[in-house]
Amino acid sequence: MKRMSFLMVLGLVSATLLTGQVIDPAKSYTVTIGAYGDLEKAYQAVIATDDFKKKFPNVAIKFQTSDFGGHHNRLTTVIAAGEQTNDIEALEVGYIAQFVQAGGLTDLNAAPFNAKKLSKDLVKFSVANATTDNGALIAMPVDIAPAVMFYRDDLAKAAKVDMANLANWDAYIAAMKKLADKSKGIFGIEHPAAVAAIPLNGGKGGWFANGKPLEPKAKFMDALTLVQKVKAAGVDGDLGAWSGPWSQAYLDGKIASIVNGAWFGGTLRTWLSPAAADGTSQWRVAYLPGKMMASLGGTYLSIPQTVPGPRKLVAWEVLKYLTNSPVAQLTTFKAIDAFPALTTVYKDPVMDEPVPYYGGQKVRKIYADVALNIPENKVSEYDAVIGGIWNGAVTDVVNGKATPAAAYDAALKKVIATIQ
Amino acid sequence: MFSMKKLPSYLTTFLLGLLALVFAFPFYYVFVLATWPSREVLAFPPHFWFGNGLMENWTSLFGRVPFATNFLNSLGIATLSTVSVLFFCTLAGFAFSKYNFKFKKILFSFVIATMAIPGFLNIIPFYKMMVMFGWINTWLPLIVPGMAGAFGIFLMTQFLENALPHELLEAARIDGVGEFAMLWRIVFPLARAGMAVLGVVTFVGSWNNFTGPLILLPDVDATTLPVALSVLNSRVDNNMGALFLGNAMTLLPLLIVFMLFSRQIISGLTAGAVKG
Amino acid sequence: MSTTVLAQRKKRMKAQQWAPYVFISPFFILFLVFGVYPIGYSIVSSFFDWKLIGTKPPVFIGFNNYVNILTIDPFFNSAVINTVILLITGSLLQHIIALPLAILLNSKLVKAKELFKTAYFLPYITSTVSVVIIFGNLFDTNFGLVNWILGWFGIEHIRWGSEDYGVKVILSTILNWKFIGWNTVIYLAGLQAIPQEMYEAAEMDGARTFTKHLKITIPQLYPIIFLAVSLSIIGGMQIFEEPFVLTGGYDNMGGPSNSGLTAAYYLMFTAFKAYKIGKGSAIAWLIFVTILGLNAINRAATRKYND
Repeated sequence: MKRMSFLMVLGLVSATLLTGQVIDPAKSYTVTIGAYGDLEKAYQAVIATDDFKKKFPNVAIKFQTSDFGGHHNRLTTVIAAGEQTNDIEALEVGYIAQFVQAGGLTDLNAAPFNAKKLSKDLVKFSVANATTDNGALIAMPVDIAPAVMFYRDDLAKAAKVDMANLANWDAYIAAMKKLADKSKGIFGIEHPAAVAAIPLNGGKGGWFANGKPLEPKAKFMDALTLVQKVKAAGVDGDLGAWSGPWSQAYLDGKIASIVNGAWFGGTLRTWLSPAAADGTSQWRVAYLPGKMMASLGGTYLSIPQTVPGPRKLVAWEVLKYLTNSPVAQLTTFKAIDAFPALTTVYKDPVMDEPVPYYGGQKVRKIYADVALNIPENKVSEYDAVIGGIWNGAVTDVVNGKATPAAAYDAALKKVIATIQ
Repeated sequence: MFSMKKLPSYLTTFLLGLLALVFAFPFYYVFVLATWPSREVLAFPPHFWFGNGLMENWTSLFGRVPFATNFLNSLGIATLSTVSVLFFCTLAGFAFSKYNFKFKKILFSFVIATMAIPGFLNIIPFYKMMVMFGWINTWLPLIVPGMAGAFGIFLMTQFLENALPHELLEAARIDGVGEFAMLWRIVFPLARAGMAVLGVVTFVGSWNNFTGPLILLPDVDATTLPVALSVLNSRVDNNMGALFLGNAMTLLPLLIVFMLFSRQIISGLTAGAVKG
Repeated sequence: MSTTVLAQRKKRMKAQQWAPYVFISPFFILFLVFGVYPIGYSIVSSFFDWKLIGTKPPVFIGFNNYVNILTIDPFFNSAVINTVILLITGSLLQHIIALPLAILLNSKLVKAKELFKTAYFLPYITSTVSVVIIFGNLFDTNFGLVNWILGWFGIEHIRWGSEDYGVKVILSTILNWKFIGWNTVIYLAGLQAIPQEMYEAAEMDGARTFTKHLKITIPQLYPIIFLAVSLSIIGGMQIFEEPFVLTGGYDNMGGPSNSGLTAAYYLMFTAFKAYKIGKGSAIAWLIFVTILGLNAINRAATRKYND
């Protein structure tokens, strides 16, 4: 019995080493994936492709999908209990920092995975986000969210404003003053807080400089000042995201612009602003004012440490396929507008295609350019708390409860009290 | 036949009716939203009347969720929980309200104190235990640990305080009715009003439980309705119509259960007269 | 003959002595099996610098978590104050409505009791997510029904969801709306047990309705009032889901000025977002002590009233 299992392990190892073939064609496997929101829909589409069927004829994929909060809650609980999770678990970028600091996920840079040679083809900043100080890669980015500006071409034309090339945020605010029209109930932007995360590169990480929180101060003051300026311009709709009046405002065409990740295009297309009969809409995409580069969202795939060894190997093959195969990356993009993390597909002809919804604009080129230029954000174990405190500071500025300087000082005090 | 004497009655009924409309409205609203296509769910001004998206939501709901399986799981877990809670908590409530025994006060305070411990964090060690017991993906962890819950014991103790007259118990004892036989003959019949409240709240709690089944029943086919429905909650692929249809279909059984138990809660003023 | 009666009575006495222990034993057996380990885990972890996940070993730090929470933590104090405000406005004051409502529903004055009772109970079974969507619409700044009605009185444009007091108003409304029916149902069931003859005797003495209820109903309901208020305290001090969903989850920590950040919300944030399970456990035990304290007051108050 003992010898048997030894032989089996030996067989497995030698098969891996000699042929690089983990998956025995004579057997059948099941890989389970824990996912949230739309991800299952995207990966189901990937599984349905001929390419996947050809490469994994004997691998079945089973999903455990929940909503965003539920999924992360379950995952942290099971990992905290030290028990076995699904073979592959999805993580939103906001949860990456904690795992980078604490562990609990398999280091994909270590043998036998050796992800390093694969991750060079992935967007740099997102790989850096998931890499620990010791060089361990705890999850692979599967999609990213380059931040862009969506704007309404008809309104811009009527106001004779060139939204595509705004030099800076002041120019943006000036433009919004022209586009917004109180008498028609048209707002420049949904809410002042919508721009708050941009100067912070999305605010997932990047809260420290040289070990000091909320530094460099100028960056954080920029964010709060920007929010205050947008508020003072009086062009916002004071609409809370994902509320009834908010979605209705989009449906009624009352919003002139929005700053968000590329994925928001999917929300516009399928829900908030469906295309006309000819497949077009008035929405266009532009770089952020001053060609600022930022990231607003993103998904990672991980293999928790509690997954048993042999299952890890099969899971890795699937994870590798989802993150590194052009077919999978482009299928995911088509299914749910989640932008590929795999940079090699940016050269695919599909990225150069005009997109009818945006009036034939080649928006994917913009996405790809932003994706390649997003700066790195260093994550820390305090990111969650600091993010929560920071959102409070933003709200205070929006509500006129505090000046940017006062809000910054109050936030810094809270941050220091929390992390010490 | 309008008479001035009945005026207070009409007036009260009218005012209570008004209040009832306010209270019932969101419930009604869930059913209204279930019939609108997803993009219309958050429409403003809101829809107050039924729409034409029912079929669309139906297809979308049943395309994504094994509804029947999840429904049966929810029903099975909630029913078994309710039955066992009613039995064991009435027993304990009977003991705490109608017997004198050593350490009674301390034991009762202990039971209540366990309710004051915020249970959110217990899920982690509890999950570990359930893995050890091999209970993951079974109904057991959602039924057994709560079978004699502190909440139910507290509720039944306070109810039985008044509902079971001492004289009746003494009379039964003199007639030679044993302590256990008394349960069936006196306690359960007279505890009906309290048991009805406990039954409803246990069923509702089990039926709406999200975190428990989410973590303890990871298998799609083993899990319950609220967890299965959460799949529909996503931002890009907006499924809100289907989500509300699922919600509405989740509410119906609760309504039926409440109606069933509800008769016991007001069986009219006559009930009091039978006792004594 | 007499010896057998005696023996029988003795046997009865014995049964009467051990029967209650048998009846309460399921709770204690289940507690030993399922409760001791998790509770012990939580007590122990509250004395450690303990990461929720990962490989870093926990470090024993004595009472540091507790001291930290009570002295330098920037959120705990306000979280407790928020919780107590919501406890009063959202959970306790409603008993003044629920009890008379139950008495009315139980009286001969009202027709179609079944229908009313069902209607009042409906909020209790409606899911939090739908409730939040509905109340979000009602309290919307620009288009909400509430501001529309206030507009008639010249009060304009209150930003309910964006101001700290507004968040508390919405939450209190939700909690009242959700639990008034539940409390009414408890009181109704309690009213069942009051013998009708007590009222008849009072009526013969010519007691007015109000006095009747003050003198008979309320003292008779004492155990139920204690129950209902205790449950409100226990539930109210652990309120999490409603503020969590309303103010947008962990990222916003209770919305404007942390107005909706309750103690349990902060507990969850600390453990599941900041990943400090040790500190989270310490918060849990502080909430526990607070609840016990409040309940002791409740017990003293209802007992005094009863005498």
